[in-house]
Amino acid sequence: MKTVFVRQDRCVGCRHCEIACAVEHSESKDLFQVFTEEKPSHPRIHVESVDNYLSFPNRCRHCDPAPCMQVCPTRALSRDEATGSVLVSYTRCIQCSVCAMACPFGIITFQQVRQLESDREVNAKCDNCIGRLSENRIPACAEACKTGALEFGDVNDLIKETRADLTMRLIRSQGSDIQGPAMPDNIRAYKAVMETIANL
Amino acid sequence: MFSSSDIKQEAEKRALDTTDQEIIGKAIEDGIETAWERFALQQPQCGFGQLGVCCNNCAMGPCRIDPYGGKPSHGVCGANVDTIVSRNLLDDLSVGAAAHSDHGREVVEVLLETAEGKSEGYRICDEEKLKRVAEEYGIGTAGRSKEDIAKDLALGMLAEFGSVKGFIQMAERAPDKTKAIWTEFGITPRGIDREIVEAMHRVHMGVDADFINILLHAMRTALADGWGGSMIATDCSDILFGTPKPLTSWANLGTLSTDKVNVVLHGHNPLLSEMIVQAVEDPELKKYAIEKGAKGINLVGMCCTGNELLMRSGIPIAGNVLDQELAIATGAVEAMVVDYQCIFPSIPATAGCYHTKVVTTSRKAKIPGTQYMEFSAETALSTAKEIIRLAIDNYPNRNLDRVRIPGKPMKVMAGFSEEEIRKALGGTYKPLIDAIVAGQIKGVVGIVGCNHPRIKQDYGHVTLAKELIKRNILVVETGCAAIACGKAGLLLPEAADNAGSRLKAVCNLLGIPPVLHMGSCVDNSRILVMASMVAKELGVSIGDLPLGGAAPEWYSQKALPIGTYFVASGVYTVLGIPPKIFGSKNVLNLLAEGLKGITNSAFAVEPDPVKAADLLEEEINRKRAALGI
Repeated sequence: MKTVFVRQDRCVGCRHCEIACAVEHSESKDLFQVFTEEKPSHPRIHVESVDNYLSFPNRCRHCDPAPCMQVCPTRALSRDEATGSVLVSYTRCIQCSVCAMACPFGIITFQQVRQLESDREVNAKCDNCIGRLSENRIPACAEACKTGALEFGDVNDLIKETRADLTMRLIRSQGSDIQGPAMPDNIRAYKAVMETIANL
Repeated sequence: MFSSSDIKQEAEKRALDTTDQEIIGKAIEDGIETAWERFALQQPQCGFGQLGVCCNNCAMGPCRIDPYGGKPSHGVCGANVDTIVSRNLLDDLSVGAAAHSDHGREVVEVLLETAEGKSEGYRICDEEKLKRVAEEYGIGTAGRSKEDIAKDLALGMLAEFGSVKGFIQMAERAPDKTKAIWTEFGITPRGIDREIVEAMHRVHMGVDADFINILLHAMRTALADGWGGSMIATDCSDILFGTPKPLTSWANLGTLSTDKVNVVLHGHNPLLSEMIVQAVEDPELKKYAIEKGAKGINLVGMCCTGNELLMRSGIPIAGNVLDQELAIATGAVEAMVVDYQCIFPSIPATAGCYHTKVVTTSRKAKIPGTQYMEFSAETALSTAKEIIRLAIDNYPNRNLDRVRIPGKPMKVMAGFSEEEIRKALGGTYKPLIDAIVAGQIKGVVGIVGCNHPRIKQDYGHVTLAKELIKRNILVVETGCAAIACGKAGLLLPEAADNAGSRLKAVCNLLGIPPVLHMGSCVDNSRILVMASMVAKELGVSIGDLPLGGAAPEWYSQKALPIGTYFVASGVYTVLGIPPKIFGSKNVLNLLAEGLKGITNSAFAVEPDPVKAADLLEEEINRKRAALGI
């Protein structure tokens, strides 16, 4: 199973993923035209911050089973079996927002979409960049992320990396000389300064 | 958005001063957007930018480096993280140096026009200082009129900007041992504009890629500001408007009047505001204000224009940089008159919610939505009168239902120019040196800089100042830091009660506050001159003295050259907000450690003011020990 894996501690809050997402889902797919389109595209990934320095890129997990799919009364939500992506049929969506109530991550937003002629705001959630996936490209958010906070790949491989990291840290804490992949000292110092400010 | 108890809590979170809190509450109730709201809307702010690893210099970019050591590790051009971080720092620092120095140039230009009899309303107020500075420039003074001397001096100072002589005259004021360090490392400033232009050249793609070389030039550019542009601004302003002398006045938003026409003078340069001080003395305007139903005209200052006016004329000061929107939100301001620097472009929008008129005056700083009344030396006094007339005309538009003037103003003592401090000590720094040697004064720290919405307004300044005086460390201040301490009541002789017993005894003996207000942000040059005179008296470098600097709440690019010329002159400096350099270990290490071997000083970043005081005290103790005291 492939997914966009989130490493929160690597997010620097640049919101480049949000911009890349909005551009990817626009008509022109062009940063400099996207904001002048008739129905401007908005991000489907949301970078939220805490204490003005910690941030988290919150994105659809494409759950299976997906609570949103289970509760949708019009079967507007469906799964693409090849990629595991949960997709929305905009014409079927009736704006009841029950999907958003069921979503454990609060990532569903209602927007006007260019695919519909009407101005109705429908569930415009992450589609996993399914078009890009079919071209063997990775989702736009993961491509835009330059710090490794969003990584696309086989979930077990990505988890394994985290597990290896944790193992190294545990070993180190037990007095081993082995150095695990840790946060660079300068970035740690910066985060410590920002934490002090947040706690003043 | 907020319930009334939430509003109180939010206001207490945003600002330390109770008058500020009251108006923050009113602004929230009135639905006024301020810097705090906009700051919240900006979260999360981009980490690449904050770490300094984003390069937006050329059209191949913007590029950014993975701060975690992965890819991308280089920009398109191949610049690494050290190059990008140091180049960005030099870029920001040069903007700050340019701001101070361009302000200085305007004052010299008016001195020249005044000497030539072309200006309106200006005169040379401090002839003694004029002669003293002229002599430094090798200009003859005997038997010459002050206008003749001023003309030669103004031309001499203007030449400093594009100087070809290889040094800046005023930097000669530094002690020989400090100048020797500058020579050894090739950072003696050669000309004010030259260093800034060269900095801009170096940040161009494919010029300087060596972070050490870039940072050395940053130091030279900063020295050209501190010992050049800023020092010229201070000295020329003293010559034109008088060198400040100790006086008392008032501070905080309570200085606004309930029944007079309130005019807030905001910005940096005293050129216009001093004319407005003259204009309000006009009997016709006074009469006109009464005709319009007001009891008179109430001038108050804000930011460094406010400091300039407070220092020389005792004009009350309404607040520092985060107060600019709050002053308007009192609903009691007829006109806010601005020149440049630190003017929020949001001001006309805030003013649009009340009756306030915003008047811009500088060709360099126009803001859409304001009334533009161009200011020039030839017509300065007439323009000033016109501006006051506009404010008076606006008085009947004040909506009394929307006015709230908070609390009571706080008394302040200001006006401590270097000359007056020396005079108070009996003409030489010997008594200060004796007090330092005896340990009555452990050391001296300059607290300077702005407000920043990341930190509760004034909390950093006030807490640090209190902490230092408690430890018998004398505090000197400029800029928004000084205004913060003014609002908090620390600029009063009585505040010596908060000081350690030894410092308290010194303050009581001299009748001075434990925190001395030395002026606006260009007046940090006064601190340099003072340090220089003390060092010369002892035959040491500035770096040998038990001094420190701090900018607990800085935001402005101008704070970068200030901090850097402090450090390059030998003063250890603690910043409360991290500069955008944390992306590069090498740049961090050089500024925090490497410089110690060069200038015997360094930068530190410590937002917690108590811990910042620990660092400063430790450094002062280290230098005392090295001096054998």
